[in-house]
Amino acid sequence: MVKVRRGEKLSYRLSGAARALDVEHAVILKVEDITLSFGRIKAVDGASFEARDGEILAIIGPNGAGKTSLLNCINGFYKPQQGHVYFQGKDISRLSPHKRAELGLGRTFQGLQVYEGMSVLDTIMSGRHIHMKLNPAQAFFYWPWVHKEELEHRLVVEEIIDFLEIEHIRKRPIGMLSYGLRKRVDLARALALEPKILLLDEPMAGMNLEEKEDLARFILDIHEGLGTPIVIVEHDMEVVMDIAHNIVVIDWGQVIAQGTPAEIRINPKVIEAYLGVSVT
Amino acid sequence: MSRREVVEIKVGITSEHIVADTLPKLLLRNRENWGDRVAFRQKDLGIWQEWTWEDVYSEAKYFGLGLISLGLKRGETVGIIGENEPENFLSHYAAQAAGAKVVCLYPDVTPPEAQYLWDNSESVFIICEDQEQVDKALEVKDQLPRVKKIIYWDPRGMWKYTDPILMRFSEVQELGRKYDTEHPGVFEEGIAQGKPGDIAVLSYTSGTTGARPKGVIMSHGGLLDSACRVERRVIMKPFLQYLSYISPAWATEQMFGLTMGLHMPFILNFPEEPETVLENIREVGAEMLVFSPRQWESLSSTVQAKMLDGNFIQRSMYKRAMAIGTEVAQGRLAGRPAGIVARVIYPLIYLLVLRPLRDKLGLLKTISPVGGGSAMAPEIFYFFQAMGVKLRNMYGMTEIGLLTVHSGEHYSLETVGHFMQVDPAFGTPLEWRVEETGELLVRGGWGFDGYYRNAEATAERIKGDWFCTGDALALREDGEMVYLERVGDMRQLSTGVRFPPQFIEIRLRFSPFIKDVISLGDETKPFVSALINIDSETVGRWAEKRGIAYSTFPDLSQREQVRNLIKGEIDKVNQSLPSESRVLRFTNLPKELDPDEAELTRTRKLRRSFLEERFGNLINSIYEGKATFPTEVPVKYRDGRTGQVKTDVGITDTEAGKEVMK
Repeated sequence: MVKVRRGEKLSYRLSGAARALDVEHAVILKVEDITLSFGRIKAVDGASFEARDGEILAIIGPNGAGKTSLLNCINGFYKPQQGHVYFQGKDISRLSPHKRAELGLGRTFQGLQVYEGMSVLDTIMSGRHIHMKLNPAQAFFYWPWVHKEELEHRLVVEEIIDFLEIEHIRKRPIGMLSYGLRKRVDLARALALEPKILLLDEPMAGMNLEEKEDLARFILDIHEGLGTPIVIVEHDMEVVMDIAHNIVVIDWGQVIAQGTPAEIRINPKVIEAYLGVSVT
Repeated sequence: MSRREVVEIKVGITSEHIVADTLPKLLLRNRENWGDRVAFRQKDLGIWQEWTWEDVYSEAKYFGLGLISLGLKRGETVGIIGENEPENFLSHYAAQAAGAKVVCLYPDVTPPEAQYLWDNSESVFIICEDQEQVDKALEVKDQLPRVKKIIYWDPRGMWKYTDPILMRFSEVQELGRKYDTEHPGVFEEGIAQGKPGDIAVLSYTSGTTGARPKGVIMSHGGLLDSACRVERRVIMKPFLQYLSYISPAWATEQMFGLTMGLHMPFILNFPEEPETVLENIREVGAEMLVFSPRQWESLSSTVQAKMLDGNFIQRSMYKRAMAIGTEVAQGRLAGRPAGIVARVIYPLIYLLVLRPLRDKLGLLKTISPVGGGSAMAPEIFYFFQAMGVKLRNMYGMTEIGLLTVHSGEHYSLETVGHFMQVDPAFGTPLEWRVEETGELLVRGGWGFDGYYRNAEATAERIKGDWFCTGDALALREDGEMVYLERVGDMRQLSTGVRFPPQFIEIRLRFSPFIKDVISLGDETKPFVSALINIDSETVGRWAEKRGIAYSTFPDLSQREQVRNLIKGEIDKVNQSLPSESRVLRFTNLPKELDPDEAELTRTRKLRRSFLEERFGNLINSIYEGKATFPTEVPVKYRDGRTGQVKTDVGITDTEAGKEVMK
């Protein structure tokens, strides 16, 4: 029987000891001069930026600016023609997506990539698979140690369920859930990976105001409670301005500005990219 | 010698039945007698986690000592705000053992409301569930100079809060452990010093009457008196599975979950989250449930709503089974056999339809389901009775405890049952009389302890040695009491006809399509009409099925088909009313009634006078015979912004209305 006292849960130290947030942080993810083209179209054009441990970094830009392409380059879905991605000082540019996931790159998707027929519990459990040590044959015979491992993973999953407040849908099939809840399950699955950095691709797209505020709260909780650095790609400027520490603005595949929300808000290039009006 | 002292002496020498005269003494007894038996269960991380009485006692002890070391003195007040969770109950036990009183708030109060209650109750500590409640306390702490610490038990989201007034529940317990090694025996001494006349709880009235809430004093003796009254009348056994769902901010949960929970004792089950209650009832196999009529209604309407999705065969089977179940239940309750056909096929129907339905609702093991608070629709009763769930009505008041309950096997669903018996240890038997106005006066038992720091309001309720309930009740020949209305609420039309507004509202609310109803009619108005708040979920689904397109709530509510749907529901209810008091006209409100806008109280009772003022022009149009009313309704959103909903509100005549108009 698992007995855990409220507040002493592992979830609050899921990703190791909670880091002190106000210390000067090391660069955890570095993107250097990435260029990605499809035929003659340059989706990403020489983009470079850094994400530091313990920060929320937002990548924003108008539709079609190349934000998702950039994210796909980071987690390995796309192979850029040029440039490098460094994760914790290590060049991961040549690694396949699942290798990068094993290193600790967790992500969610813009379109929903969830299994419709699976229950919420199983979906989140699937995020644990990189941590599972047993092979299918052992699992088939369900030895006692398989049961023990299953319990350990279930505990982590239950903590995430508690963290994201989705207890009431634990056993429902994903196909029955609303869009906002599916997104939350997607996030839960990414957390189940115990990522060292979390990449969120337009998590707020298609949500109403209340859902957006809820999700913003969860993102802050993940950041404060678990200390996980977060890279969030979003085109809804307002939400991003409220929660991000640093912002990278992309237009036509290029980084056109970088800085704190206050700096970005008054940057003429950003205003131009968003409103399409020349201010000079 | 004052009456109070007499009673205290009586309690001291009481019959062996009453083992302790305060709640903390019961806690001590439970630990001594049943230290290794389960006291609390809460679902956490998907598993039911258990606390024994030993666990509960030591958790409460160290928390209580922590509060004492932080400066809590006997007679002071501890404020608690949060959902029903073990820490909520532990805080009650701890504060009361330290000789303090408790004021518990509904988790959804607004900061200004909370500020008034904490200030009025003179709270020195505020114990909050989580970040949401801490934010409320921090917002108003500058207006609460007495508050020494704000304590929270769920640390989630609290990582960056640095205000020195904040402290974690477990930190306070840590202080308590240290204090215990330096001053052993303080906690036990505190319990021994407690007297039945000490104030245990301040329970605030919901403020339906428009005035500011008043703090009703609930003493240990009064709470125990109520618990013993119930024990004599309702089927109970020690260690039954009780689901704690109604908030301890409501006096009913103080009497049941907190007092009876210690007295019997119960195994107290706490739901995982408010959203998972329906699931949890079933997992726990709850044997006793105390819900407000609204909560029973919503339980039954989940079934009604799901049946709408069923196919023809399912629907007709359900309908048939319910009809037979109801017939058998009616026979059983009246003490006469039902028709032979029904009696013969009932076992089969029960096995095939009703038992599985009961199982799905999680009520298979329920032996004592209770409804209390306000009147309940008979249909709700029959819904549960038909599947063998013996739902009982209970009537009582925060001020003088529980008064009547359905007891035995035969009772009438229109009544609130028989008067209860008082254990002689607490006072004289209950006596009652009904005034000419219809008002019920009561005396006996522990009696009324008064309103906190409000002698004037206290005096208003007392007439000689009688307590004025303010409720209109009638005694039937068989000795059962019928609850009519609040005395102030029975209303007369300008034609002189008296009509029962609540009755109309309750009957209409039973329709799955109607969420709230305000019935209109007074000395200035010649007929009865109604403002309807449709149930957006069921009506929405109904509209979807019929391919009726709509955008927002205001749009949906004013659709021709929806108006006709509601008209049909009202016509049905009108048939059971005398022709002069039928509802002639109605309108669907273009917005949902919301406690955040002060239209409903936190227990979802209507704030009538406020509503009649807010919708004044609309109401005038109804009585001027107009067919539409262009309006703009101010709406306050959850995030604090305000907006306007602009729409043409349609006013519809019912069948009865059309006849009269002719």
